[in-house]
Amino acid sequence: MRSLFLLLALLAPVTFEEVPPQVSKITWTHNNAQSVDRQLPETVGAGCAFLDYDNDGWMDIYFVNSGPSDFFTPATPLKNALYRNNHDGTFTNVTDQAGVAGGRFGMGVAAADFDGDGYVDLYVTNYGPNILYRNNGNGTFTDVTDKAGVATTGWSTCATWFDFDNDGKLDLFVSSFVFYDKSQNPLCTDATLQRRYYCVPRLFKPTPSRLFRNNGNGTFTDVSRQSGIADHPGKSFGAVATDVNNDGLMDLFVANDTMPNFLFVNKGGGKFEESGLAAGVAYGEAGRPRSGMGVDAADYDGDGWQDLFVANIDHEFFSLYHNDKELIFSDQPGEIAPSTHLLSGWGLKFFDYDNDGDPDLFLVNGHPDDMIESRIARVRYKEPLLLFENTGRGFKDVSATSGTVFSKIFSGRGMAVGDFDNDGDLDVLASNNGEPPLLLRNQGGNKNNWVGLQLVATKSNSAAVGAVITWQAGAAKRTRLRTGGGSYLSSHDPREILGVGQASKIDSIEIRWPSGTTDRLVNIPLNKYIKVVEGAGQSR
Amino acid sequence: MKIKLVHPRFLFKALLLMTLAMVVLQTVRAQDDKLVAQLEQIATLIRENKTGEAERQLGIFLRSRPNEPVALNLLATIKAKQGRLNEAETLFARAVDNNPRFTGARMNLAYLYLEKREPAKAVVQLREVLNLEPGNTEVMVMLGDAYLATGATDEAERQYLDALEGRLDNAGALLGLAQISRVKGELKETTLYLTRVATLSADSKSPEFLYKFATIALQAGMSDAAKAAMENALKLRPNEPAYLLTLGIAWIRKGDLFEAEKAFRHVIQLQPNNEPAQIHLGYVLLNQKKYDEARLWLEKSARAPTAIPEVFYYLGLVAQEQNDDLKAIALFEKAVQKLPNYAHARIALGSSYIRLRNYPRAKEELETAVKLDPDEPKAHYNLALLYARLKDPARAQEEMRIVEKLKAKGASTDGVVVLPPNPNPR
Repeated sequence: MRSLFLLLALLAPVTFEEVPPQVSKITWTHNNAQSVDRQLPETVGAGCAFLDYDNDGWMDIYFVNSGPSDFFTPATPLKNALYRNNHDGTFTNVTDQAGVAGGRFGMGVAAADFDGDGYVDLYVTNYGPNILYRNNGNGTFTDVTDKAGVATTGWSTCATWFDFDNDGKLDLFVSSFVFYDKSQNPLCTDATLQRRYYCVPRLFKPTPSRLFRNNGNGTFTDVSRQSGIADHPGKSFGAVATDVNNDGLMDLFVANDTMPNFLFVNKGGGKFEESGLAAGVAYGEAGRPRSGMGVDAADYDGDGWQDLFVANIDHEFFSLYHNDKELIFSDQPGEIAPSTHLLSGWGLKFFDYDNDGDPDLFLVNGHPDDMIESRIARVRYKEPLLLFENTGRGFKDVSATSGTVFSKIFSGRGMAVGDFDNDGDLDVLASNNGEPPLLLRNQGGNKNNWVGLQLVATKSNSAAVGAVITWQAGAAKRTRLRTGGGSYLSSHDPREILGVGQASKIDSIEIRWPSGTTDRLVNIPLNKYIKVVEGAGQSR
Repeated sequence: MKIKLVHPRFLFKALLLMTLAMVVLQTVRAQDDKLVAQLEQIATLIRENKTGEAERQLGIFLRSRPNEPVALNLLATIKAKQGRLNEAETLFARAVDNNPRFTGARMNLAYLYLEKREPAKAVVQLREVLNLEPGNTEVMVMLGDAYLATGATDEAERQYLDALEGRLDNAGALLGLAQISRVKGELKETTLYLTRVATLSADSKSPEFLYKFATIALQAGMSDAAKAAMENALKLRPNEPAYLLTLGIAWIRKGDLFEAEKAFRHVIQLQPNNEPAQIHLGYVLLNQKKYDEARLWLEKSARAPTAIPEVFYYLGLVAQEQNDDLKAIALFEKAVQKLPNYAHARIALGSSYIRLRNYPRAKEELETAVKLDPDEPKAHYNLALLYARLKDPARAQEEMRIVEKLKAKGASTDGVVVLPPNPNPR
């Protein structure tokens, strides 16, 4: 009888279950500052992050909120929020103690240890100047934006930490959206509504994104122009750092809204070449730019080459770009396309939710225009989440069997993944525009066996972005490139969970660090997190 | 290229109404009350679709009076209802020969000729009718339609204007004028006429009229009006496949593939082998990226010896999307074989050759496509992609500038695929 129960438990689908605020104690809500003038920044935020700011081995949470701007003066002060993980499924708001409240019209967040001191720092993007919070290591942060030289003007969206020059230091790419201020808000309305709706970004001018090189002394140099990034003004949202041509240099795939997407191929020597058109990832069919928002990268079919994903607006379909090598991609969305026909996608991430070893795909959706339902049939403002399971040959929509939360609708925007309860399967955090966030606990992903890696770089960049992890369990051999960024305005658990399915042991793990160092691990304990120090192998 | 739809259910309906009620009484009453009663009874049988019994009684009747025009006219009507058009034509003609002033039979003959796409013969009959009944505006409209079908737009216009007699309340005449404006490329006038027709009392509009209105409205780009007309027609005749098909096309034009899909599925439910519905269903599923099912429906159509080139083009696109470019190329080639000037198939060929990295063949096909249709952005986009792959950024940019220019001019790049041809029979 017990074995029957065990079998049934194994056959039961993995689900995601909402952790309500009464349980999590997360009471923070996003304020989108929605006004009758329908200022565009109101509708595109905001992001969220899983991070371990106090190095206690448990994922804490950060949320970004709106704030004062040229078009908005909050009646009461609005704050970003840092929630400390209490290790028991609850969180405590420590924003004020930590000094990370923001106070600007916030967009996104990227967490990483930029100065290599062992504590994760925060870069918060805004409509208006961004903020770099340096972690002091004692539960507090200091705003070092100006000193570090990463202050920006304009409207920033996604930030991505990665090491473009392989010097072992984390550099910073900051997506820039359109040129905007309150005087730039044209009247977008129609006779039916007789009130404003959010204008499409097509009406606004593009602006160049920014690339900051880490000098290794707490400061950065703006290399946007030298690198070639600034030669390509865009309307950029999501960005992911990955290596699309397996040359060991991290490239950037950047989604643009109503403009062609960018594929910045890292040519070495600090230079990037924009190759989106030739690669086939810039436009939709017939050469029409789409409304790219969230992006991610992974080798979904295990052929050793990084594939790309971009979410667009309704009726444009989302794209799964298969890497056909030689910097050529083909759009092969399969079942994802009809499922996303009417949706607008933002936060998204490839991750192995069921620990079977291959990357699955989670999507957070919501239309940017809150009045869309009176203008376009069948399209809704709030939209459902989607979960696609990797079948080895493509993706299968498993949303309907993955929990009741998939039958609900949200104004989804940011999305981060992380194992907040340290049970060995990846949970999801989604931020909703103008609504409370959503914390989803993965139930059953850890029925399959796994190993969690905390990568500690000594020569490579502190986030180990660019590391290639290969693991073998029996006949199954898997490889994963550690990417930077991905999703939308959000930042993820830095640990890597390697799923091995029902294999009872993992034969080997090999980590090829960006520095060139390779660590090979054997006798690895299953279903535990282990720390791996670059050059020294497994530490515990 | 045109798909011919046959509508036997409503063929000769108007003709029946006219002959049975009016002609029987006018022509025969004077001769013999008993005969009148007998023919009226037969007419009632026809009206009630009891054609077997009607045909039997007419057989008996015509044995004793083989040249009785009304009886010949009724028998011809039965034959027409049965789709035996040649027999019907002979019988109508005999009715007219036996009574050249029998306008009902002449009108029926004219309907028949229009149905057989012999409008010049219809013109002859209708002119005779108009000579006999000079003020009959219904005949004027029909004559206008017949002229229009022969391409004599000036004559047609004159008939429609005569029918209007300065009053803008003859829907048939207005619809005819709308058609003429459309033929002349006068979109504004077409819209004005159609808008006027749409405002006339719906009560006076038969489903046939609404169907005709919808097909013209679709051609004039008035998809909302077309949709509304077909929805009204379907209220009067809910399961008419031709109406559902036209409604589906109107939904496609409005951009709602889901409603279109529903309409086409309804047609197929009624007529499982309805080829235009299969093609259109395949088309909407293709555009929803539901490739497996799209392929199923399109393959059904592809098996027909009369399969149109679009079917092979769409099947090629399905194969292309499913990453089978060799199969896609074979299908596009088949489409081009059937229609050498098929620019979209050439573009698709170019696109598949790019995917196979056969750049010289891609260039050849895309350049041919541009010659065939210089204003199609998709061809220029694929050329841009090609030049970018060939490391010729200047030419790639030049092609993208053309794409931008064409988009600014309003060339459509929204749809993945061009629409199948309109299966409107006229």
